[in-house]
Amino acid sequence: MSGSEIIDYAVLIPLMPFLAFPVILFLGRLFNGTPTWVRDVKEGGIIALTVMGASLVLTLLVIKEHMNKVGAADVFTWFESSWWDSTNASDPITTKIFGFGIYIDHLTIMLLFVAAFLCFLINIFSIGYMNTDSINDNRNHRFYAEFVLFCSGMLGMVLADSFLWLFIFWELMGLCSYLLIGFYYERPSAAYAAKKAFLTTRVGDVFLVIGLVMLWNLFEPYAGTQGALSYAVVFDPENIARVNSGDLQLALGMMFIGAVGKSAQFPLHVWLPDAMEGPTPVSALIHAATMVNAGLYLVARMFPFFMEAEIGTLSTLAIVIAVIGGITAVMAALIAFVQIDLKKVLAYSTMSQLAYIFTGLGSALWAANNGYETIAAFAMGASLFHLFNHAMAKGMLFMASGSVIHEMHHAHHEVAHHGHGDDDHHDDHHDDHFDAQSMENMGGLASRMPITATAMFVGSMSIIGIPLIGGFWSKEGVIASAWKVSLKEPVFLLPAMLILIGAGMTGFYMSRMWFMTFAGKPKTEVAEHVHEQTPWIPIPLVILTFMTLGAVILAGMHAGHWLGDFEKGHYTSFIDGIGAEMEYVFLNDDLFLMVLTYVTIGLSLIVGPSLAMKLYGGNLDGDQKAKPWMQWAISLSARVNKNSNFDNTAWANSSLATSLHKRLHFDDVYDAAMLKIVVGFAKLSAIFDSKFIDGVIKSIESTSQEASRRLRALTTGSARDYIMMTALGTLVIFILLWGVA
Amino acid sequence: MLIGGLLVIVAGIMAFFPKMNSSGEDIDLISLPLVGFPIIVSCILLAFASQENRSRREILAVPVKLFTLCASMIPLAVSTALFFDWLVITDWDLLYNEYALEKEYVWIESIGVSWHVGMDGLSFPMVWLTTFLVPITIITTWDEKDGATYHPLLLMMGGALIGVFVALDLFLFYVFWELTLIPMFFLILKWGGKDRRYAAQKFFIYTFCASVIMLLGLITLYFLQPEGNGAQYGTVTGRTFDMTELFKNAKYANDNGVFLGKGMQYVLFAMLMIGFLVKLPAVPFHTWLPDAHVQAPTGGSMLLAGVMLKMGAYGMLRIPIAIFPDAVVYYQDVIMAIGLISLVWGAIVCLGQTNLKRMVAYSSVSHMGVILLGIASMQPIGYAAALFMMFAHGIISPMLFAVCGAFKHHYHSMEIGAMRGMAKWSPYLAVYMMFAWMASLGLPLLAGFVAELMVMIAFWPEYGWWILLPGAVLAITAAYYLWSMQRTIFEGGDEGQPPESLNGEIPPDITLPENIGMIILAIFTVIFGIFPFIALGMMDDWTVAFFKGVFISGGI
Repeated sequence: MSGSEIIDYAVLIPLMPFLAFPVILFLGRLFNGTPTWVRDVKEGGIIALTVMGASLVLTLLVIKEHMNKVGAADVFTWFESSWWDSTNASDPITTKIFGFGIYIDHLTIMLLFVAAFLCFLINIFSIGYMNTDSINDNRNHRFYAEFVLFCSGMLGMVLADSFLWLFIFWELMGLCSYLLIGFYYERPSAAYAAKKAFLTTRVGDVFLVIGLVMLWNLFEPYAGTQGALSYAVVFDPENIARVNSGDLQLALGMMFIGAVGKSAQFPLHVWLPDAMEGPTPVSALIHAATMVNAGLYLVARMFPFFMEAEIGTLSTLAIVIAVIGGITAVMAALIAFVQIDLKKVLAYSTMSQLAYIFTGLGSALWAANNGYETIAAFAMGASLFHLFNHAMAKGMLFMASGSVIHEMHHAHHEVAHHGHGDDDHHDDHHDDHFDAQSMENMGGLASRMPITATAMFVGSMSIIGIPLIGGFWSKEGVIASAWKVSLKEPVFLLPAMLILIGAGMTGFYMSRMWFMTFAGKPKTEVAEHVHEQTPWIPIPLVILTFMTLGAVILAGMHAGHWLGDFEKGHYTSFIDGIGAEMEYVFLNDDLFLMVLTYVTIGLSLIVGPSLAMKLYGGNLDGDQKAKPWMQWAISLSARVNKNSNFDNTAWANSSLATSLHKRLHFDDVYDAAMLKIVVGFAKLSAIFDSKFIDGVIKSIESTSQEASRRLRALTTGSARDYIMMTALGTLVIFILLWGVA
Repeated sequence: MLIGGLLVIVAGIMAFFPKMNSSGEDIDLISLPLVGFPIIVSCILLAFASQENRSRREILAVPVKLFTLCASMIPLAVSTALFFDWLVITDWDLLYNEYALEKEYVWIESIGVSWHVGMDGLSFPMVWLTTFLVPITIITTWDEKDGATYHPLLLMMGGALIGVFVALDLFLFYVFWELTLIPMFFLILKWGGKDRRYAAQKFFIYTFCASVIMLLGLITLYFLQPEGNGAQYGTVTGRTFDMTELFKNAKYANDNGVFLGKGMQYVLFAMLMIGFLVKLPAVPFHTWLPDAHVQAPTGGSMLLAGVMLKMGAYGMLRIPIAIFPDAVVYYQDVIMAIGLISLVWGAIVCLGQTNLKRMVAYSSVSHMGVILLGIASMQPIGYAAALFMMFAHGIISPMLFAVCGAFKHHYHSMEIGAMRGMAKWSPYLAVYMMFAWMASLGLPLLAGFVAELMVMIAFWPEYGWWILLPGAVLAITAAYYLWSMQRTIFEGGDEGQPPESLNGEIPPDITLPENIGMIILAIFTVIFGIFPFIALGMMDDWTVAFFKGVFISGGI
């Protein structure tokens, strides 16, 4: 290759934040509390922002260069080790290289952009959110250091050229997730949540490692000296054709369990809602927009295996992926129905939307493995596009929720100050029992926080799939592809049906969240005093609002790709693309798909939101007026609410609602299993170890001491005894010698 | 006293520096600089410092400590220089049974004992590790009481340990093997916790009994080997304790049949392995370890876990596996079973511990199981992983024990949960604890991960789905470490919860020496995690040579 290409510098994208990690940590240790450090450097926030900005610029350059071509570059050899093949007599020992390099293709580019862009935006948001709260004083350097380390992990994972390094960065992200969930270390709930998140994902990671080991051993014979986990080896169609597809399916299945853990899917989903203990920027970045996508990325990376393996041999795994997705989509949406914590609703919504993408990927993989390439390309495109839309919208939703929570805090602080005179209550607002995250304390914020409310409005619409906005395009695509596959393989009817129902449920819980927070009258005094006043926070909200609204342009630009319309290729202009898109979605030639579209729209646009309006709608208080683009929804909700006599109490008291409040008992059962069975067994083992295994040793010791005590008794000190013993001994020796002779 | 000490140092330097400028091959860079010097210096210092008078001992403490530290730097400088080829150009890519810097002096002619030392890719990393850990340990435990005798004992310990790794003579090997017990025995006996008397005796007698079985095996081996004539062979017995000679004969015999016959191989292999397995330690011979660790002072624990346990693994690879390849194949499943049991049992018992140091001690048992797994995998990558595990654990586990020691030192308690919210009171200690714990649970980019990954890769082709057991251990390890962190670093409310054992005092953070020691260990953990090839290159070369020499018949 000639000279220096931009890809040679791509390694800097994760490397810069990685190196910034110790810098921020140590500088923070040195300068904490000094005015410049706090005011101008924002306790490290500006350093982090600079680094993330540089990473973003480099990312954009890389994307520009590699928009339509695959690229790879070696960076360094991690280590070498040898392998003994005893069947090969002539050259039994070969050297295997474990290296690290950069690999860029379409999938990389998509996730790279999402990661770099959102890391940068959320960094801006963090400066507004973290640096204006006194509880974070003198520990923000820790936040920014861990923040950049996380970004390094995410960017590295996307860029890595082998499954091995994908896993290494994957674990790095897990570490940062652990550290940041436990950021407020003094809270027992945060400590518990951090441990739970790490352990739950660790269970998945164990299977991922086992899957990697199996994959390594499968491809080892064909890898030569190359790393047997590098994409260049495992995605080589010849190699895939040579390995046993049964074993391959097992290996990929093991790796999928890792993805289930990381992306919080059933049954390893329990950690995600608790992870909301972390500061809100962390929830936005790690637990909504980037890290939880790692599992999806891993599954999407498996696409070539399904494409190249023998037809039908990997279908079981594809079905499992889709079914897990379907189950999670509905289960998470159900639990989201009853959450009153703003962030937890979003957490369950994340889970549910990720499940959509899993179902879409499952469909794509099944179609790829069974020779339906058009469907596969369509489903793949739709799933990845949904990943993109979801990341943008959910990042924005979390930041908006952070904005709400932040202003609620400040308003509460203000109210408490005025209420209780001028006692020094400054630091105490965590001690009293006001919950700034509970939607039951909010209401009527639409007029008080216009930018946030708009962002939340657009984001919710994108997640719900309101026609023409952001997530609509991709969600339709995912549902359509699942149904298309179910026409070929009836088992897919289950996930397809589940995600179709889920669409309506999404409409309900997202609308419920928005109306509870922003419509109606303020439910507490605090909510009346909320103002949108923190600097930095609105910047990313505005950018992402337009990004979400403009997703249709992206959809148009890539219509050729994700409609699977290979003949036409790229449309000449995005307007043509959008036209084609519209036509495809609303006036499809295939009657089945068209009906499906309208059913989905009906569920998500009409059934879900109108139910939410009936229960939670209402006008703002008297003189308040929201911005016109939200006011209509509020007025509509008030009208629907007034006309309904929907009685909610029977449902709220039902056993289903109770168990939904308890998160369908998963957490309790896991906790009990861990505490009672595993720890109980461990305690018993410890006792066994000290009482029995060590007891045997101790009994040998005491026996020998006893024996020596008895023998000592023979040492009487009397000459007569000694002569006697000598005589006896001599006699014995003589008898022995005589016998031998 | 100071003048005398300086004289010793000067003498030590003079002993080998002048020769260095002459032709490189002739210098003995092992016997005196690495082994003799620390032992001799520490003996002199101990003779100086063991005063009856308490106040005189205290006056002596600081100069003796400083002097010991300087003295311990000399082996470190030499071994580091050997790695970077500063003193002599050393080629570590050796054939089987070839050694760098080999030196041989006849010692007891009649029975064929010689002072024979040398290093290869198996021993050099361990030698460097020992020379590296001794100064670190001295620094970390700088404030230990009675420093005038404590620190020289650490130095002596280091010299004896290096002796084990460089010995190329069975007799010499055994001498150093037992010599390591003596300083450790006194360290536990004099500076230990409440039950130190019992722990010291148990440690000594337990491992000594095992060593005696090993010794019986070695002597049997000595008498069964074919007679020969040469400088190494005893004038009376006609046999030799020289390892290189033994390896040569064994390899010749194994290439053309079975050395000593199959039955005898199995018996001798088992006898030698018992000695090494107890030292490792492997379940069920592990119960001396937690007692010794819990009672031992911090410095003793650091060297015990960091290097002494590896003597077991080193001995296995050096003697029985090299001489009895047929027995290795025969016992492969047994070794694997012992390894798996150690791994799983150690981890499960960890989860049930309430004492921080005991938990860490059991985690060593668990990690040593990984070495057995690597050996039983019969793959070069597994052997290289075992070597790297020895090395990585040698850096990580001293840090674990340093953290435990600092915890005990400052909070006067070892109970998990006695101190919560440590991050508030002792941020440095909290950071080191989290770092060490994470390194020990095998977080990627820290040293421990590489070895675990390699072992699992080597494990699968032979044992398939049994891999779920090491997999489960990965999760259990994470569980006990995270659970203990939750109850120490985290929690405690806004004010933190100082332990009752402090009687209301404000908990302090770690001292400067502890800080220095731990940060150096942390830096090296990261270096060997990100750039494992620094050490693995040499280990891989050794493994390939070993396999060609031992397991592939007719190979070189």
